[in-house]
Amino acid sequence: MNTKKKGPAAKAAGSNKRPLLVSLRYYKGFYLMFLPVLAFAIVFNYLPMFGIRYAFYSYKGIKEPVFVGLAHFEKMMKMSGFWNAFGNTITLSVVKLLLNTFTAVALSLMLNEMKSATFKKITQTIVYLPHFMSWVVTASVFTLILSPTSAGLVNSILIKLGILKEGIYFLADKSWWRTMFYGINVWKDTGWGTIIFIATLSGINPELYEAAAMDGAGRWNKLRFITMPALNNTIITVLILNLAKVMNLFESVFVMQNDAVIQVSDVLHTYIYTQTFNSGALPDYGYTTAVGLTASLVGCVFVMVCNKASHKVRGRGIV
Amino acid sequence: MKKKATAFDYGLMIIFVLISLIMIIPIYKVLIDSLDLKTAYGMKLFPEQFGFAGYISVFTNPTLYRPFLVSCFTTIVGTFTGLTIATLGAYVLIQWKMPGRTFFANMLLFTMIFSGGMIPTYLVMKAIHITNTLLVVILMPAINVYNIVLMRNFFEGIPASLFESAEIDGCSPMGVFLKIVLPLSKAALTAIGLMYAVSYWNDYTHYKLYITNDNLYNFQMKLRSVIMGSDLPQAIGGATENTVKNAAVIVAILPFMIIYPFCQKYFIQGVNIGAVKE
Repeated sequence: MNTKKKGPAAKAAGSNKRPLLVSLRYYKGFYLMFLPVLAFAIVFNYLPMFGIRYAFYSYKGIKEPVFVGLAHFEKMMKMSGFWNAFGNTITLSVVKLLLNTFTAVALSLMLNEMKSATFKKITQTIVYLPHFMSWVVTASVFTLILSPTSAGLVNSILIKLGILKEGIYFLADKSWWRTMFYGINVWKDTGWGTIIFIATLSGINPELYEAAAMDGAGRWNKLRFITMPALNNTIITVLILNLAKVMNLFESVFVMQNDAVIQVSDVLHTYIYTQTFNSGALPDYGYTTAVGLTASLVGCVFVMVCNKASHKVRGRGIV
Repeated sequence: MKKKATAFDYGLMIIFVLISLIMIIPIYKVLIDSLDLKTAYGMKLFPEQFGFAGYISVFTNPTLYRPFLVSCFTTIVGTFTGLTIATLGAYVLIQWKMPGRTFFANMLLFTMIFSGGMIPTYLVMKAIHITNTLLVVILMPAINVYNIVLMRNFFEGIPASLFESAEIDGCSPMGVFLKIVLPLSKAALTAIGLMYAVSYWNDYTHYKLYITNDNLYNFQMKLRSVIMGSDLPQAIGGATENTVKNAAVIVAILPFMIIYPFCQKYFIQGVNIGAVKE
């Protein structure tokens, strides 16, 4: 956030520097108004940060926490489940991000070429739609459609066409799950992803295209020399902003995963969840806190790298 | 510059029709099945044996309509709470000369980069005894720093002269906020309010983590267990199991399908307040 910028209220407050006490009294009302926001931030964001110390304790929720130093981290390094989840988090997030961005750019370019405004409008309305469906609804829809029984649309079509002999349980098959995950993500978010690119495309000066046409440039050359250069910055921005969220993957995976596909689908946050709430035994909150802390720290590194990249590319940070 | 449609244009149109079909067919299939009382399924354009029994099962079964009401309640109260927090936060963040403003801003922004994580947050909510109450699912998503930043971006566009004249007229900060800032921000309030509403209606993670009492489940939670087959409601009036499942999915998306055509421009505005602002 740019702190040097002078907002309207700053001017309203007068531009002379006031002594602090006068200033505090002047802004009394504002401090009061900020109080609820502060309270929410403290309770929901800052108090939990103090809980991070449990990463160094053994804590099962009944007895007092016992300090164990780095034992949880040592255990974590030896757990194949952790490394599996770590690798999956990166793979699933990054591939999903690249696929979603690519399809969104492609669709935006096609929408941009569309001459009929009505046609464009209708297509946009339809492709934005899945964005508003929750992950639970999305997973439900595809569980029904991909189901291996006769009620499953995809399987029944494939069988009717003679491509398959019997139904495949796409969402419970290790070799299919990731493809389905990426596909469903593309289905859900491609349309919504086009908004930002279309905003950029509509900002391109039409005179550029006219001048290019005058020079004999065809559709392809216009795309290559005018549209793509204008879009590059936005593409990089979108990639950077989303790369910062790589470690956050949870709900979309959680609602699509099942025991049969844990190996290819388990990500850090689903690992933390199952280790804590579904492990059957009394959970050690310390261990899962340690895994969470690792995820947060790696996420932090991603954010900082992206922030640096963002400063380089577009002259401002990501937050 | 209007030209005749070329082969290229027709090609594009065909591609768009295909893309639209891919988007629509999964939803359409669920809709058809929710209205079909027959168990034999395949791809068909219309229900074979038309009937509303699936929906009647959803709305007469207390284990399903109760979560629906919980969803309605938390969405309305939550959106209001969220907008209150977002507007108050944003209003204070545009007081550039206020001592401590930078500290407050950084304090909020820091939470976008680093968080306590799932388990410490869970332990805190348990320690302050708000797990298994609707408080946690209403209050926790209300503080969304990204929305505060969006709102602030919008507030910055309000002309300074309005603040000045209000102050000369002796308006208090709260007065300026209520009489000038809010009435001038209807578009942003709608856009960000809708974003909050969608996230409250679609919330699953917070319920999954903090609510174990199934009387407090929202519709998403219930839908999940219905689809997984662990909690199938009794089908009545000739509806099959599958009909009820499909009907439950449609009920979960219905509210937004209804308002979506009218609100599309506000949703898009919400994205653009954040994106275009440099």
